[in-house]
Amino acid sequence: MTPLSRRAVVAVAVACLVAGCGGGDGEGSGSRPDVTRPSGTRAPAAAGASDSAARPLARSAPVGLSIPAIGVDTPVVRLGLAPDHTVEVPPIQADDPAGWYRYSPTPGRPGPSVILGHVTVGAYGDGVFRHLARLRRDDGITVRLENGTAAEFAVTSVRTVAKDDFPTEDVYGDTARPELRLITCGGPLEDGEYRDNVIVFAALRATAP
Amino acid sequence: MRRNVLSGAALACTAVLATAMPAFADDPSPVPATTAVPETGDQTAETAASPVPTDRDAAEATPVPAEDRGGVSVVPRGAPDTGDAPAAARSGSDGLLIGGGAAAVLAAGGAAVFVVRRRASGA
Repeated sequence: MTPLSRRAVVAVAVACLVAGCGGGDGEGSGSRPDVTRPSGTRAPAAAGASDSAARPLARSAPVGLSIPAIGVDTPVVRLGLAPDHTVEVPPIQADDPAGWYRYSPTPGRPGPSVILGHVTVGAYGDGVFRHLARLRRDDGITVRLENGTAAEFAVTSVRTVAKDDFPTEDVYGDTARPELRLITCGGPLEDGEYRDNVIVFAALRATAP
Repeated sequence: MRRNVLSGAALACTAVLATAMPAFADDPSPVPATTAVPETGDQTAETAASPVPTDRDAAEATPVPAEDRGGVSVVPRGAPDTGDAPAAARSGSDGLLIGGGAAAVLAAGGAAVFVVRRRASGA
């Protein structure tokens, strides 16, 4: 082996060593994306949250309800549970109000917010939800909240069901998006009691402000 | 020849040491950095995870609205009774009862008159 070839071998060996050490930096820089991965994983979550048509509102109790299609504009009271564990209903009175079931989400929050109203109020005549069954798909429902915001829902379906077969899961079951349930009585009177329930299912369409 | 080999080997060693020193100097910094980031990741995970259970615990502890869970916290039993029968329907049923009672009284009175007259004529 000539001196030139040996020098060349040594030079190549040195170059390989230098390159090998530099390769360590390359791996180090390659590991940096792992460091920034958490921020990268947040982006899809934020994008997924923005997929909904209307952003959920802050938690605030409803104070008013308007349904232009059937001429309803009423205050909303809070309802709880009766001693027999059935849902409380609004008071029987003239100009009876609607009532929000306070163990359900506030309107505009994810989940089914439940509002009840009477179809008739005895001697006082028609109740606030007298014409609830006339609602049709895409009719608008606006709920005013205590904090000044409002949630506008669009009717998705109207169902008349026998009280004996009340669809508890459909009404009170969890939903990922903000939804609304309006409930009243309906159907024929049997022994002074309405046989059915009329249930309006609606989904959040817009919020204001 | 030997000088060349020795000089080459010396050059190689110095090159290795020269490049290895910053590599060694760099080693400690990436290690804490990489360990620090997972720690912060864990911390964020913990901070992100801790509020959720506390909210859930709070919501489950008190049967108050658990709206942030996206559901109804207390499901009521049965169907709501949201209709007090109108007065017309009630008055209709009451009228039937009153009419029926009046007819029964009239029938009883007529029967009594008939019996009295039969007895009177027979005597």
